[in-house]
Amino acid sequence: MADPKSTSGNLKLTPSPVTSQDDASSQALTEALGSSVLLVRLLLWGLLVAFVGSCIFQVKPNEVAVVLRFGKPRGTGADMLLKPGLHWALPLPIDEIVRMRVGESKSVRAKNAWYAISPEEEAAGTVPTGNPTLRPGVDGHTLTSDGNILHVRATLKYRIADPMAYTFQFHDVTNTLVNFLNNAIYHASARFTADAALYKDRTAFTDAIRARLSSLVERASLGIALEPLDVEVSAPLYVRDAFDEVIRAEQDRSKKISEAQGFFDETVRKAEGEASAIRSGGLVVSNSLVQAVSAEAKFFLDQLPVYDRNPALFRERKRIEAVTQVLTNAPDKFFLPSRADGQPRELRLQLNREPLSPVTKPKANGQ
Amino acid sequence: MKKKNPLMLLIGTLLLLIFVAMLFCFQVRTTEVAVVTTFGEYSRSITNAGLNFRLPLPIQKVYKFDNRLQNFERKFEQTTTKDAKNLLITVFVGWKVSDPKTYLERFNGDSVRAEQSLENLVRNAKNAVVGSYNFSDLVSPDPSQVKFDAVEGDILRALQGPAHDTYGVSIELVGIKQLGLPESITGKVFERMRAERMRLVQQFNGEGEAKAIEIRSEANRKRDELLAQADADSLRIRGEAEAAASKDYITLEQRPDLAVFLMQIEALKTALKDRATLILDEKVPPLNLLSGEKAPSAPATK
Repeated sequence: MADPKSTSGNLKLTPSPVTSQDDASSQALTEALGSSVLLVRLLLWGLLVAFVGSCIFQVKPNEVAVVLRFGKPRGTGADMLLKPGLHWALPLPIDEIVRMRVGESKSVRAKNAWYAISPEEEAAGTVPTGNPTLRPGVDGHTLTSDGNILHVRATLKYRIADPMAYTFQFHDVTNTLVNFLNNAIYHASARFTADAALYKDRTAFTDAIRARLSSLVERASLGIALEPLDVEVSAPLYVRDAFDEVIRAEQDRSKKISEAQGFFDETVRKAEGEASAIRSGGLVVSNSLVQAVSAEAKFFLDQLPVYDRNPALFRERKRIEAVTQVLTNAPDKFFLPSRADGQPRELRLQLNREPLSPVTKPKANGQ
Repeated sequence: MKKKNPLMLLIGTLLLLIFVAMLFCFQVRTTEVAVVTTFGEYSRSITNAGLNFRLPLPIQKVYKFDNRLQNFERKFEQTTTKDAKNLLITVFVGWKVSDPKTYLERFNGDSVRAEQSLENLVRNAKNAVVGSYNFSDLVSPDPSQVKFDAVEGDILRALQGPAHDTYGVSIELVGIKQLGLPESITGKVFERMRAERMRLVQQFNGEGEAKAIEIRSEANRKRDELLAQADADSLRIRGEAEAAASKDYITLEQRPDLAVFLMQIEALKTALKDRATLILDEKVPPLNLLSGEKAPSAPATK
């Protein structure tokens, strides 16, 4: 360090024959230069370390990277893409590191065919009132195959599938993708009726948009993979109440029909029950008839020999037996003696209009 | 300590080399194309990325252009179809520099000027192509009649030649990005849509009513049918029972007077079984005994 000659070639100092004063001053100068040289050396080492350090870089987990050497991708084919981890590259302007975030899902929204809505209304979930006409360039709309107007908007999620194409082939993939999505909306709308796109074939309509978009993306080699596509369809705001009216009428129709169907089911079930009761009633009557007649016939056969022996006695016996039973059962009995002259006696009865208990007709006198 | 001198020398040489390289070399990025001019005259185009040689300024100058696909789109414009229907239509165009020399000469490398020039070209091509198709080729109830691809393909072909020859630009994509009706026609469409909806409302109301009545009357018919069938079955069962009983009735024919008498006795008992009020005169046996009348003589044996 004390020897100034040892510093560097550029700063080499040559001693000259001088006086002692000169010696002292040159000594001081040498020392000053020596400390400067030390600084320069430190700086150089620092620069070297910084240079080596700047050659190492990290690719994060959701990224891939490409190193452009003099503007041209380093490596060929799949080797061009550097996976997450530590890698090296020369500093600028020799190598340029291009990082591409492939892991994350991105999203674009196509609303060329959507009605004008402010971000505040969108956030509040309110729908603006419709105008009787649509202003070109303000109120987007799409035309359906039956010549009607609808509003359609689509939100697509996607991932980068081919980072090289995505980054180096297109100035603005997002913009191109939005154009493709809008194109797909008009393309699909032109093939569906308003009712199909709105209600009946909603899934097929979404599928048609997706299919068209997919073919456009593939044809242009955008380097993306499509993820879920969300499609919103709305009737024009100005005639939306009429569309709602149709839905109500349709629901009303379904309600009327299902009520009638309920009535049908109930009526038929009840009638089946009644029919079953009628049949079993018939069966009961039949069975009892058969049994009763059979019993009657048996009773007749049992009585026949007795009757044959003395019919008059049999009749009288049976008659008295019956009268006895009737008289025993009847709670009210009136005995009406004959008139002395043998003429029939007149009997007057006042009956209630609605008798509390059934009353038998008075028997004819004498029998 | 002398060994440090070559390091300094090396660094100095390196700096000098870098300086010289900056003067005599330039990079073309993979997203770019470049044109080199010598004293303002075109020398060569470079379309491959990498390091290239040049003479220093002011002898040679390098122009670089973005070679990625650029988007170009313009406002919603009215155009007329072959069958004289007015349409509003916007197309988007994807373009890139195909001939850097022409592109430089024409626009001096200014993409804004390039797009302004493209605008007229696109408008003319779009109007010419749409004017050769009917409205039903763009919007049709028959999906096979919709010729979106043909319209877009025709515009693309109409643009490609002139864009390349005149502007040094290649048209890679053309597509419809917006399609609509003029404002006055949208009002008429709305009126028609509203009328159509009202017709549907009436149709659904009528259909609901009619279908419900049909179902209800069908229910009544079915009930009547079920009950009539059950009555018939019941009658048939009873008939069968009567038939089964008739062989027992034959037994009674052996002595009809006894059979009738027994039935009468049974009928009497049944009729006066409960809660009957009897008013009898003295002649009814055995009450005749009460009045001391002589009992009838014992019936003789038949």
